[in-house]
Amino acid sequence: MPPLTDARKKSLRREMEALLGKGGVLSDPDELMVYESDGLTLFRALADFVVFPRSAGDVAALVKLANREGIPFVARGAGTGLSGGCLPTEGGLVISLMRMNRVLEVDYDNQIAVVEPGLVNLHLSWAVGPQGFYYAPDPSSQQACTIGGNIANNSGGPHTLKYGVTTNHVLGLEVVLPDGELVWLGGRTRDAQGYDLVGLFVGSEGTFGIATKIVVRILKKPQAVKTVLAVFDQVDQASEAVSAIIARGLVPAAMEMIDQLTIEAVEDAFGCGYPRDAAAALLIELDGLAAGMAAQAERVVQACRDCGARDVREARDEAERALLWKGRKSAFGAYGRVSPAYMVMDGVIPRTKLPYVLGRVNAIAAAHGLRVGNVFHAGDGNLHPNILYDPRKPGEEARVVAAGGEILKVCAEVGGSISGEHGIGLEKADYMPFIFSEADLACMQRVKDAFNPAGLCNPGKIFPTNKACVEVGPAYRPHPIEEKGLAQRF
Amino acid sequence: MPSALPDQLRRIVGAPHVLTGVECSPYVVEGRTPEAVVFPGSQEEVAAAVTLAAEQGLPVTPWGGGTKMWVGAPPSRIGLVLATKRLDRILEHEPGDLTVTVEAGLTFDRLQAELGQRGQWLSLDPPASDRATIGGILASDASGPRRHLYGTARDLVIGLTVIGADGRAVRGGGKVVKNVAGYDLPKLYIGSFGTLGIVVEATFRLRPRADVDRLVVARFDRLADAGQGARAVLGSDLIPSALELADGEALRRLGLGGAAALLLGLDGIAPQVDWQVDELERLLKSRGVVDQRVLDGDAREETWRALGALGRPGADTVAAVMRWALLPMQTAELMEAGAAAARRHGMGAAMTAHAGVGIVTAVLSGSADPGPVSATLEEWRSLVTAARGHAMVSWAPLAVKERVAVWDAPGPTLRLMRSIKERLDPRGILNPGRFVGGI
Repeated sequence: MPPLTDARKKSLRREMEALLGKGGVLSDPDELMVYESDGLTLFRALADFVVFPRSAGDVAALVKLANREGIPFVARGAGTGLSGGCLPTEGGLVISLMRMNRVLEVDYDNQIAVVEPGLVNLHLSWAVGPQGFYYAPDPSSQQACTIGGNIANNSGGPHTLKYGVTTNHVLGLEVVLPDGELVWLGGRTRDAQGYDLVGLFVGSEGTFGIATKIVVRILKKPQAVKTVLAVFDQVDQASEAVSAIIARGLVPAAMEMIDQLTIEAVEDAFGCGYPRDAAAALLIELDGLAAGMAAQAERVVQACRDCGARDVREARDEAERALLWKGRKSAFGAYGRVSPAYMVMDGVIPRTKLPYVLGRVNAIAAAHGLRVGNVFHAGDGNLHPNILYDPRKPGEEARVVAAGGEILKVCAEVGGSISGEHGIGLEKADYMPFIFSEADLACMQRVKDAFNPAGLCNPGKIFPTNKACVEVGPAYRPHPIEEKGLAQRF
Repeated sequence: MPSALPDQLRRIVGAPHVLTGVECSPYVVEGRTPEAVVFPGSQEEVAAAVTLAAEQGLPVTPWGGGTKMWVGAPPSRIGLVLATKRLDRILEHEPGDLTVTVEAGLTFDRLQAELGQRGQWLSLDPPASDRATIGGILASDASGPRRHLYGTARDLVIGLTVIGADGRAVRGGGKVVKNVAGYDLPKLYIGSFGTLGIVVEATFRLRPRADVDRLVVARFDRLADAGQGARAVLGSDLIPSALELADGEALRRLGLGGAAALLLGLDGIAPQVDWQVDELERLLKSRGVVDQRVLDGDAREETWRALGALGRPGADTVAAVMRWALLPMQTAELMEAGAAAARRHGMGAAMTAHAGVGIVTAVLSGSADPGPVSATLEEWRSLVTAARGHAMVSWAPLAVKERVAVWDAPGPTLRLMRSIKERLDPRGILNPGRFVGGI
């Protein structure tokens, strides 16, 4: 698409302001810069416009306008994504859903809520909390990220070990399709007839349209919760404890691992009570009925001890429990204490391969002269190696990207996946051939074409930019996305 | 040349694995006899057979255990039946990962028995599980009472391989329990009735087997009271794995008696189950419960099995079966209204519901005369549609299907569904005509 002329931009701005009001359109480069990246700041791209609709009708009108003009568009929530999924195309339209942030309806008897996409994840749990309910998917960014963004990425979180990810909690979606038509996929009842379009839409990273209303399940809060902290002198012991707990027939609500480097950062930043000299800690949470909870906790404690835990204890009270979780959920932010920058990876492996893969991750980082901190969802094998680096040191960022690719390749080799919850976005599009064949990708492309035949809805994401399998070696090459001018590195 | 097809198939799968002529009669679909039935022994053979059919523009109807071939509209065309029963291996079971990968022709009970020996299970309880295959269960999105807590196939499948209309294998998802790489293709294939691809392999997440598993039957004098009982359970701290609502006629067929009942599955460790049994009694006491009893062992299994069998044709008296999707709180009222409608048409009805998720199985019985059967089904559909739910005819004789649509009138999303179908199966050879909107 050729860049829009200034005159054309002015006239489009006027047209969108007529729809959204003066405060509803940004087109000044200084203001647009706020929206040039998401939580993965490696990639940046500047849009022509950022717009703030207040209704599904607004969104549909904007999408129709974009189609008329042939302008690429992308929906954006809080911008907390970690794969560049909501980055605009250079010169496109960003549709921010932050003004569509209401809880429209809660039906406690039928245990569903209808919300707008810009609603912050945690605010839904706050809204239904007084009635004894909550919304289960709990990404670590839940204080900021939106339900709409969660739909795009099929977001997970610590408690998805027991309760599943976003897709397991969504019943229906009102959607503006890429051509501007407003339709309902699914609804309030289960088992909609026809193809499972809701299942397809969730996790489609904004390439199938823009959700404007979302029907989710809300769950009764569990009667009882027990949180156990197990401290280990060796990372392998902690990994083995994860398998041992599963082998004893337990499905904890969450099972998180935090390594020493991360503990130090968290303790420096927040002082949450993790022992600084531990090689790794497991944060294990059980929830459900009060009856039998003590017996289950005892099984967990015993499994950890059998695997060589130095110390295992239950959180004494709600305050201590909240502090331990604060440390876990704020770990990413805490890395600022030990490194000027970091890149979070998001690989998944069969959990029995944890000891092997964690060893490989450390070896890969060491070979590139980098440090890596691990804080992750050990229970479902969802790794988050965080590669620490200093962007001011020449060449260091390139080594980070290379190490990241190698780590994901190891995940793929042991039968895992290149993304557990952050999505493919721009970042990992070229790694898709690690786990998918040409036929798999061709099928996905056909499904995309069914929803998004004009290709204007969030282009350039998910699919590899070149057909050949990407080779990741120690030498730095510009990321293919940069080469294509789709994004810039800073 | 009409004789070419069987020979070509024999070259792919070997002579003993192709049926032709009268041998095909057990594989008749809604009165239509296929030209041949083929039994591939590997994914590659499935691919070769589909490729051959595609070249000749011949429709392919996948066949697992044959337990749900009567679901859907009658096929618009029939050519080749592709039976998966020789693809029956467990490919990978890693207990520490709580995952299993199996071929599509494996029967459900065989898989469950194997998993059970290692203390695990696939938390799905579809009907006719002794014959139903994994592929058929996924294609038809079959489920049972335990979906209340454990969800349906869409919540349990983590990876799926299908052979597409072009004969190429397509894999979606993977082998790990958490995975958002690429589009969620397994969701597309689950419940698509073989119209987009033939499932040949699936990977599931598993659960550890519970120490204790009980079925509690709480009987009431009125269905409305049982419905209020379900509401109380849903609002309580109880965590049942199943919450079924049954009317008097259903209970009579189950041999349980009574006017209405709640059937709860309670599983876990002993203190959890014991506490819930007591708590349930306390909860229902003030809500008109007549009695409450606990079933275990064979009695428990037989009752669950019989409940699943209620919605299946076979018994002489079953005239048609419909499945409704409603809000959970609507189920009891609609069940009563539906039974009354049946009586007005001189028919009988037995109704059960997965009360916590709002899925009703409505079994119509009595006269086989297509007139009153069709009239009742139409009235049921009106009732359900007025309640903003969905109704599908899950079984009816052909004469009834000629009068009553199997699926609800599709809404505006039919355009998307057709677009997907056309892109994945441009020549329309995969199980044509049976699905929503004539897909």
